[in-house]
Amino acid sequence: MHLLAQDLVNGILAGGILAVVALGFSLVWGIMNIINLAHGAFIMLGAYVTWQLFTSFHLDPFLSLPVSFVVLFALGYLIQRHLINWVARAPVLTTFLITFGLSLLIVNVALLIWTGDTRGVTTAYSGSNFTVAGITVPWAKLYTLLAALIITAVLYVWLHRSKTGRAIRATSMDIGAAQLAGVRVTQIFAIVYGLGAGLAGVAGTLISLSYSLNPSMGQPFLIKGFVVCVLGGLGSVEGALVGGLVYGIVEAFASQIDLTIGTQHISGTGLQDAVALVVLLIVLMVRPTGIMGRATA
Amino acid sequence: MPVASTGAALRRIGLGGITGNRTALFIALGLMVLLLLVPMVLPGYQTLFRTTLVFVALAYGWNIIGGYTGYVSFGNMVFFGLGTYCAALLSARGVDNLFADVALAVIVNAAFAAIIGFPVLRLKGHYFGIATLGTALAVTDIVGNLDVFGGTGGLALKQVDEAHFSIYYYAAWLVAAGAIAITFLVARSKLGYAFVAIRENEDAAAVLGISATKYKIIAWAISAAIAGAAGAVYARGNGFVDPSIAFAEDFNVYPIVMTILGGTGTVAGPFVGALILSAVNETLGHTFLKLHSLFFGAVIVLVVLLLPRGLVWLIGLRGGMRTWLKSLEQYKA
Repeated sequence: MHLLAQDLVNGILAGGILAVVALGFSLVWGIMNIINLAHGAFIMLGAYVTWQLFTSFHLDPFLSLPVSFVVLFALGYLIQRHLINWVARAPVLTTFLITFGLSLLIVNVALLIWTGDTRGVTTAYSGSNFTVAGITVPWAKLYTLLAALIITAVLYVWLHRSKTGRAIRATSMDIGAAQLAGVRVTQIFAIVYGLGAGLAGVAGTLISLSYSLNPSMGQPFLIKGFVVCVLGGLGSVEGALVGGLVYGIVEAFASQIDLTIGTQHISGTGLQDAVALVVLLIVLMVRPTGIMGRATA
Repeated sequence: MPVASTGAALRRIGLGGITGNRTALFIALGLMVLLLLVPMVLPGYQTLFRTTLVFVALAYGWNIIGGYTGYVSFGNMVFFGLGTYCAALLSARGVDNLFADVALAVIVNAAFAAIIGFPVLRLKGHYFGIATLGTALAVTDIVGNLDVFGGTGGLALKQVDEAHFSIYYYAAWLVAAGAIAITFLVARSKLGYAFVAIRENEDAAAVLGISATKYKIIAWAISAAIAGAAGAVYARGNGFVDPSIAFAEDFNVYPIVMTILGGTGTVAGPFVGALILSAVNETLGHTFLKLHSLFFGAVIVLVVLLLPRGLVWLIGLRGGMRTWLKSLEQYKA
């Protein structure tokens, strides 16, 4: 029982990061119909911005959150405005390919700047944790989860209350109608892509607290973000949060599987991803629009 | 406005019929015949070209489901991987015959694709893509954890001696040529028209009496069989298989990039794309050791911006510069 509770807590803590990873990916995919393969590269850049600020100026990672958001937002905005915008309405494969190329470019530029060495952000509270009812909780991961919840809430409110947020949601419903109502779609697309990149940067900062850094670190998070975003429902902010938590918990429980069939020993640690993906497949079969998704064409 | 991709509309702007532009097809076939000479003329490049041919076959496999049927699969590496393991398991049981390898890979993969196709192909668009990716990653994990498949340690395959090594090259050539031939024949048959109908509008196709589920499963089984055959010949030539080789991300992403680069839903496209991408990759790799992936990324970005419909499109383009410049604007937001 105690072990189960610990797994549940671990899963929720890991899920918070996954939720932020999926948030930006989901927005770009849901609103612009672009599968942004550069998302993993943006996550990596965010983590390196934090690392650079931490090693050069001893800036606390949580204080560098706004910096990585702004830097990545600007980068994403420019990329959308001047590159992707040319093929923004092309079939999804075209944008898929261009973001794949961008991802290669960014990762390799990062390799030139920061080399392939593994780096880490080690703060005063990195190794410390506290125990409640026999369950160990690392402070860094708890702060990360709180940050994830706050970011999700702010984004949700902004999308629903602000003028730009409404314009974004209108664009995602019907581009033509939004244009007729005076929404500048090119501008909105650039903001959304910038937002996606900025959120990836924030995710990178949060990741840098608990994981080590190297230029190809974004890849596994990209794939998980992919799954979480479908699990929760495409383009839905609350869906990304729910999807991230569900994925984190399923993954944590899956790591405890320990089976012996005949002479074949199966341990859960190797099958973590497999179990999580089978859950994804089941969700897709039963509820193809995701847990929180709406039924749309 | 996106151009309606019906045969007549495609022909009018120089894209050719359901098989794509004819000139491009002849160029591709000519180059394919020239590739037969590699073991004799450029023996030093044999391994490079063998890998290229494997990628050609993989690109054609993907083109059937992703290009013609319009169901973008992110999981075709699973069929490649299972193909490599078919050959490895046969070798472990003392069967060392390339034909047996390919036959087993084709049967196993077509069956596997048909079985998982029933639930997975019910999904559309992005959801299909993510489900295929999920299947691929799950199978990778499972194979890596089972002793039968040698676990993460992998399996070695028995190979022929050095003097006869080019047999693996010709095997890869045959599989690639077979993939081109199958694509050509399928595209011109009733199957091909059913696939394109599903791609353009699945509901309308269903109204016309095309059983979408049936044809989607056929498309996926063909796609899987081709990828499996490619995997089997690759494994024999490589002499060793483990999960990181069999289910390498490269075998998933590169065939997709190659097909899009050449032109999806054409017979010549995947070949042209695979050849150019391999050549670019190889040249850049030799010239700028550290920078080659960077340049590779830049090349992809430029090609997408300048040739959004793929290279084959450029070969058959009518109207010269002006049509081309106009086409650059067509997808702008």
